[in-house]
Amino acid sequence: MPIFIPNLPFRKWFKTAREYSTIADIGEIGRRYFAMNAFDGVLTIMGVLMGNMGAKVTSPHIVLTTGFSTCIAMGISGLWGSYLTESAERKRDLDELGSQTLTNLKDSKLGRASRYAVVVIAIIDGLSPFLAALLVLIPFFMAGAFPSIQWAYFTSLGVALLALFGLGVFLGNISRENLILSGIKTILAGILAILIGILLGHV
Amino acid sequence: MAGKIRRLVLDTLKPLELSIVDMARQLSELEGVGAVNISIVEIDHKVENAKITIEGEDIKHKVVFKFLEDQGASIHSIDEVVAGRTIIDDAATLQD
Repeated sequence: MPIFIPNLPFRKWFKTAREYSTIADIGEIGRRYFAMNAFDGVLTIMGVLMGNMGAKVTSPHIVLTTGFSTCIAMGISGLWGSYLTESAERKRDLDELGSQTLTNLKDSKLGRASRYAVVVIAIIDGLSPFLAALLVLIPFFMAGAFPSIQWAYFTSLGVALLALFGLGVFLGNISRENLILSGIKTILAGILAILIGILLGHV
Repeated sequence: MAGKIRRLVLDTLKPLELSIVDMARQLSELEGVGAVNISIVEIDHKVENAKITIEGEDIKHKVVFKFLEDQGASIHSIDEVVAGRTIIDDAATLQD
């Protein structure tokens, strides 16, 4: 179905971006990276929370500092890692294609689409774990509103499980399978992380 | 004054990623181009062989070549050119 694009100054830019997105197949790869890294982000921050909980950290400030620095590290890791790998892979693909058409595709539309894809995918890869993990940390920003820090921990873990369920539904929507079942599959990973965290807390 | 090119038939090789719908549409918007036909002759693993036929009142062939190069397509050969006031097809001869 054609998408209506209003006649704005950005129209041309949007049109080019959409064309590049189709050529470089950003949609599918972007979705995959988003789901994979958001999943990573939520589980990592759950690990951090369980660690803090096991170590009986009662200061929301410490939880936020460790959590937020983890978020930033994951964001940078996603951004950097995927920029380097995507640009290397796409450059190789472009060179291979260029050797078949006997042209240098670097300055062609394909080359531009490829470079655009690298940037977009790197942003998705960096932002998705960062934002997903930040979402889980939100209860600690308002820790003062809870009767005790334990409430913040449980609310955060609840948000994390909800986020995992949401990711499962998102993936189920892509694969057109049962959404609830797909959501439960991702929640199980979170429950496993919580259980291991509890066990470690008792060691 | 140089004669005007009215038909250009090109044998090109283009990456599969480039849509011939967009390509035909954008080619038809070039100056002097009246109509465009792109036919796929052969499909390979990553590239395809496309025959591009362009007709118009005054085709700027360099602009067309530049456009194709910018897209990432390579021109294998110029298979037919028609220039002048009208379009003329190649005449049948006794040897045909």
